[in-house]
Amino acid sequence: MNRMRREAIARRAVERSRADQTEVRIGTSDESLTRFTHGISNQNVAADDVTIAVRAIVNGRTGVAAANDSSDASVDALLERAREMATFAPSDPLVPALPAGGPTEAPTGCYVEATATCDPGSRAKIADDILTRVEREHYWCAGYVSTSSSGTTIANSSGALASFDGTDAQVNVKATAPDSTGFAEHHAADVREIDGSEVGARAVELARASAQPRAVEPGPWTVILEPPAFGELLTYLLGHFSAQSFSDGSSFCSDGLDRTYFDERVTIADDYRHPLAPAMPFDYEAQPKSVVALVEAGVVRNIVTDSYYANKLGRPNTGHALPAPNAYGPQPLNVVIAPGTRSAQELIASTKRGLLISRFWYIRPVDQKRAIVTGMTRDGTFLIEDGKVTAGVRNLRFNQSIVEALGAVEFSSALHRTGAYGSSLVVPVAKMERFTFTSTTEF
Amino acid sequence: MGFETLARRALDTASVRGAHYADIRFENVLGERIEVRNGVVASLADGRGCGYGIRALVEGAWGFAASSDLTETGVDRTAARAVAIARASAAMARERFGEAPSQAYVDRYATPIVRDPRDVPLGERVALLLEAEKLAHASDRINVGRSWLDLWRTEKFFYSTIGSAIEQTIVQTGSGVQAMAVGDGDVQTRTYPGDVGLYKSGGWEIVEEAALTQNAQRIGEEATALLSAPQCPSGIFDVILGGSQVSLQIHESCGHPAELDRVMGWEANFSGTSFLEVSQLGKLRYGSPAVTIVVDNNLPFGMATCGYDDEGTKSGVSDIVRDGVLRGYEMSNDTARAIGRASNACVRAQSWEFVPMIRMCNLNLLPGDVPFEGLFDGVRDGIYMESNRSWSIDDRRLNFQFGCQIGWEIKNGKRGRMLKNPTYAGMTPQFWSGCDAIADAASWNAWGTPNCGKGEPMQTGRTTQAASPARFRQVSVGVGYS
Repeated sequence: MNRMRREAIARRAVERSRADQTEVRIGTSDESLTRFTHGISNQNVAADDVTIAVRAIVNGRTGVAAANDSSDASVDALLERAREMATFAPSDPLVPALPAGGPTEAPTGCYVEATATCDPGSRAKIADDILTRVEREHYWCAGYVSTSSSGTTIANSSGALASFDGTDAQVNVKATAPDSTGFAEHHAADVREIDGSEVGARAVELARASAQPRAVEPGPWTVILEPPAFGELLTYLLGHFSAQSFSDGSSFCSDGLDRTYFDERVTIADDYRHPLAPAMPFDYEAQPKSVVALVEAGVVRNIVTDSYYANKLGRPNTGHALPAPNAYGPQPLNVVIAPGTRSAQELIASTKRGLLISRFWYIRPVDQKRAIVTGMTRDGTFLIEDGKVTAGVRNLRFNQSIVEALGAVEFSSALHRTGAYGSSLVVPVAKMERFTFTSTTEF
Repeated sequence: MGFETLARRALDTASVRGAHYADIRFENVLGERIEVRNGVVASLADGRGCGYGIRALVEGAWGFAASSDLTETGVDRTAARAVAIARASAAMARERFGEAPSQAYVDRYATPIVRDPRDVPLGERVALLLEAEKLAHASDRINVGRSWLDLWRTEKFFYSTIGSAIEQTIVQTGSGVQAMAVGDGDVQTRTYPGDVGLYKSGGWEIVEEAALTQNAQRIGEEATALLSAPQCPSGIFDVILGGSQVSLQIHESCGHPAELDRVMGWEANFSGTSFLEVSQLGKLRYGSPAVTIVVDNNLPFGMATCGYDDEGTKSGVSDIVRDGVLRGYEMSNDTARAIGRASNACVRAQSWEFVPMIRMCNLNLLPGDVPFEGLFDGVRDGIYMESNRSWSIDDRRLNFQFGCQIGWEIKNGKRGRMLKNPTYAGMTPQFWSGCDAIADAASWNAWGTPNCGKGEPMQTGRTTQAASPARFRQVSVGVGYS
């Protein structure tokens, strides 16, 4: 379903609604993914779908109904169902008028036809290139190649109408050697940027370099986090910048903005325009996204809002709503960390004794307010001695406050896109001075 | 056009295009989520989805394509896409791995329910949640109260080229209530029942069993009391875990590592591998002789209970750990054949648009013979913990660390003062080897998890780990706060 068709359905639905306020959201998706391991494709899939969701507001009462049938009859039934559901909710005086929208412009490079039309043979070729490169070392590997296209249209009774089309291509691989592993990834809007052999070679190099891992003692370490590791860690801080957790009192910064929480070298923005991860220029209420300075030189300046929390807290609507119904509050989904001045190699060279970490696994919050999380290293952990990477080490478990970790940190000058669980992150390599490990493994 | 007619067309198209086996699974899914947050209905949503997924096997390689286009043209296009994807899989494959299932079934299954949740007026459903959430505000320190209800009804229609025709209706229901207290620079949360609510297959009777309004005020009071409770000590203690926490312990440290696709490396780049290697079958001492863990996809009230899995294999019961020794895995047709066994029907897809894969289904720790209160006997210095708050385990499922919402000290067999931030950690086989008592069937419950993640694209699975409270000796406690 193309943009014109989506907009026609959305306009018609808004016009026919009998609710006080109505929002219609149409999403289309065509997603393909080739998973591979041990010389086979263990999952090779494609799926296309359309979702139509109606939010009806009647006297401050809200109901949402959704279905994947775009026929007029189905959409009309959704309008009635959403309106009927709304009548069962108590009135919420904080429900504001739906945003009126405004002009938006998608950043360059969001949609690439070659990605949208990538066929199974092309994905298999990338997977085959990775397998071939890894097999040359007599290692085995597991990974995936995915391509997707999606379309979003949102219209509402306040006059907003916004549409976006995007594509995405991703590949990752874990190479496994006899006693070590290595990981590599590549994310891009254009699948033609992805070189399977190169990605495979990076994973192989990490696995080879971390062979015969040594045991090191847990305790406080200087760490250098590669982008996949730093990005994964950062994911567990982002919810603290939501107006909801701020308002609830569960965010580390709930006690106040414009205070110094981090090292002065920490500057964090939510920026959908960044060329490494261009994204939809409006949120799921059709509100144009603002570029938000979350942290400036260690000082937390802003939180992100949607229409509800902007109204509740008396703050500007930054355009960070998730699809209705949303019990999680607004979220920053396009986070960019400002780079430092030295290269990643220079960060390593400046380290007397530390650990270089490629990737984390299974990070989970331990203490909400203090942002303490636990998790494991994996797929390439190295000892740094006198400015040089000297050996692979066995994996470790950490327990660490992210806020405290960002209290003494230096970033590399180069930025990379990494991704985890639906959001994209543009991050540098991060060197943290005191990172606490609490136990080890035998691998 | 009905599903059976469309299915015949899809399977014919796949066969004509070169598939030597194909199946199609239509799903008609109805879901409802109601969530109340601080007196406001934050979510009152009804979702309906209908579509189908087609698996095609070509030269020993699988392809899968799914669509919500229910026209003849749509079905033709999707079947052709599944075959094209299978051909691409075959072109890169170093070996033939996939094989067609051999057993066909023609059957029907429906979840037994006492009362259809949709027969309960929507206003009554909302009112229950509003009341429960209000009661959770037991003090002015409760900044956030929440209550929620999930209803799912899934109709599945499975057809295959070997003649299977299986119709199933699965009804799953869940609800819960939560209180979050904030004060003195701290945040403490209590949830009931368990840590995500009570989720089971069944109807409105599952909501009634949860007894939200009877427990909401208590958890609000507990969350408030935790703000000023002493910190759980650090050190080595005997530990008693409540039933829902034992359920999660099984889930993470046995359910996931016993997935045979994970054992074979298929999940290595994402959710990891497993220490339960095939060479250890029948040999590995997983836990103490008290520990027996089984797959039971016929379990009454199990979230994964159904007649047939999404490959069309009939549900049954099989051992994973028997008397502490590793005996089996959760398996699909292909992976089971690779180790000389038959599938135990552990294949599920999140919904029609996802490929069926090995998922943790109902994987249960069988009850022991000690009354719950008897677990405390013989504990001189220990900690009792309830309701998960944090969970993490390494990517071979050995090194774990869990935290609970609430704890109590145990002194000389008696439960003492409340403790906050209880955590414990260990290595899986050592931890389960320290399990010396499991509470009896009177406290055994089918604890369901509605949101288990696995696979790429990520799929959310609904699973049950039935369990009762259990006692573990000499456990490392207080990690993360020491």
